[in-house]
Amino acid sequence: MPASAARTATITGMGVFTPVGRDLDQFFDALCVGRSGIVNPPEGHPTFGAVDAAAIAPPIEAIEVLPPLAARVVDRFLLMALAAADDAIRDAKIEIGTDVDPYRVGVVVSTGVGGMSTYEQQSFGWQARGGNAVSPLLYPGFLPNMASARIGIKYGIRGFSSSISTACAAGAHAIAEALRLIRDDECDVVICGGSEAPFGGTGVAAFGNARALAAGWADPAHASRPFDTRRNGFVLGEGAGIVVVESAEFAQARGARRYADLIGWGATTDAYHPTMPRPDGEAAAQAMRKALRSAGLAPGDVKYVNAHGTSTKLGDQVESTAIRAAFGDSPAVSSTKGVTGHLLGAAGAIESIATVLAVERGMMPATANLEEPDPLCDVDHVVKTRIGPVGAALSNSFAFGGHNVSLVFATAGATAG
Amino acid sequence: MIAEVRKTVIDGLAQMNYDVSDVTGDTVLGPEGLDLESLAIAELAILLEDTYGSKFTEEEMSGFTGLTIDQIAGEVTARTAVGASA
Repeated sequence: MPASAARTATITGMGVFTPVGRDLDQFFDALCVGRSGIVNPPEGHPTFGAVDAAAIAPPIEAIEVLPPLAARVVDRFLLMALAAADDAIRDAKIEIGTDVDPYRVGVVVSTGVGGMSTYEQQSFGWQARGGNAVSPLLYPGFLPNMASARIGIKYGIRGFSSSISTACAAGAHAIAEALRLIRDDECDVVICGGSEAPFGGTGVAAFGNARALAAGWADPAHASRPFDTRRNGFVLGEGAGIVVVESAEFAQARGARRYADLIGWGATTDAYHPTMPRPDGEAAAQAMRKALRSAGLAPGDVKYVNAHGTSTKLGDQVESTAIRAAFGDSPAVSSTKGVTGHLLGAAGAIESIATVLAVERGMMPATANLEEPDPLCDVDHVVKTRIGPVGAALSNSFAFGGHNVSLVFATAGATAG
Repeated sequence: MIAEVRKTVIDGLAQMNYDVSDVTGDTVLGPEGLDLESLAIAELAILLEDTYGSKFTEEEMSGFTGLTIDQIAGEVTARTAVGASA
């Protein structure tokens, strides 16, 4: 189907639960002014003593998002997903079942590891006291699909539902799936995004032992520094981002606000190594090219790229090479992970939200801590937040496993997308 | 012992976030009373096994919904007594 005949998808609601806030304005302001959400883990936090810096989201009690009888043995990744979904659905001003047929609503909320910390805690009990210490509520409390399932239960969503577990590309894959569901006329509305709560001792130790994490920074706010010559790893973060994607026609008919349109997606696989990116960046570049093709745009139409940019030596370099390969002349590029840290399976979701707000507000948030750009990361870096029309922007997500996903957003109503 | 088991059950239900303010030994666990769902029944069975060593089969557990708290407490007490004399 040519792009012009496909149904256009638009963003009508967004919710964030992040280390830089739970409110959209607070979140985007933090990105634009470089207000860091990265701290030395306080005593009592699961990462205390294990990492120098962590991006910790606000506390949340199960009772805030679930009825009392369902509010036990529920992992934090589910609570954050539910909180962000509540905000996104409220933001979209949509009543499922009243404004839209529940069978025409989908939910695709992804995660990298699901409720690993809850599993870990139950496992401690099992090892200490045996089987009777393990709650029968464990599976519904930690399974990766439970974010989608519990949002579905809470809001009576009866159409397509799924969860795509692709590590750090999971949130972006979920949003790409939403676009497919809208284009295929399978749904009129899709609640989508990602959530991650990686702060269990075992998982944090594994990242640390893999020497993947930023270390040695006296000020934790300096630890995540994408594309900077002194970068030495990523900062582990937690949180959730949820987006309401609708058919533009449907959104218009109900008079919904359109932040921006979701007009293209591209996904490829490195087929190279379980954790390292393909050094030539070719599959990553191909994901961006596919996304542009899907959007019906030429490379020069995209003014801003929200990079995956995790602050690892190789990752940032390969992404820069890939951006050059896909675009020729580099669009403006920044990574918002300098202030948010790396939210893994939620990263693609909160960065899509950042990209949507960049398009809507005409502001490209700077890369924090980018003091001396690495010459091997030769792109047009946004070192100071830029103000001006963005038009169309692309968000990248790359993952362990070599999953590459690019999404394209544009000013609402500007393209046939 | 029934009073002790009754207390264990009611405390357990409170831990499971059930409103136990009006719950007595005569409260039914199933739809006519607290309306416990299957995983909640399973939790209760584990609690009783853990505390008193009384094991319940799946079939027995599904019968819990028709019983009052005191009837279950009586069953647990009987099994404990049998176990003690064995």
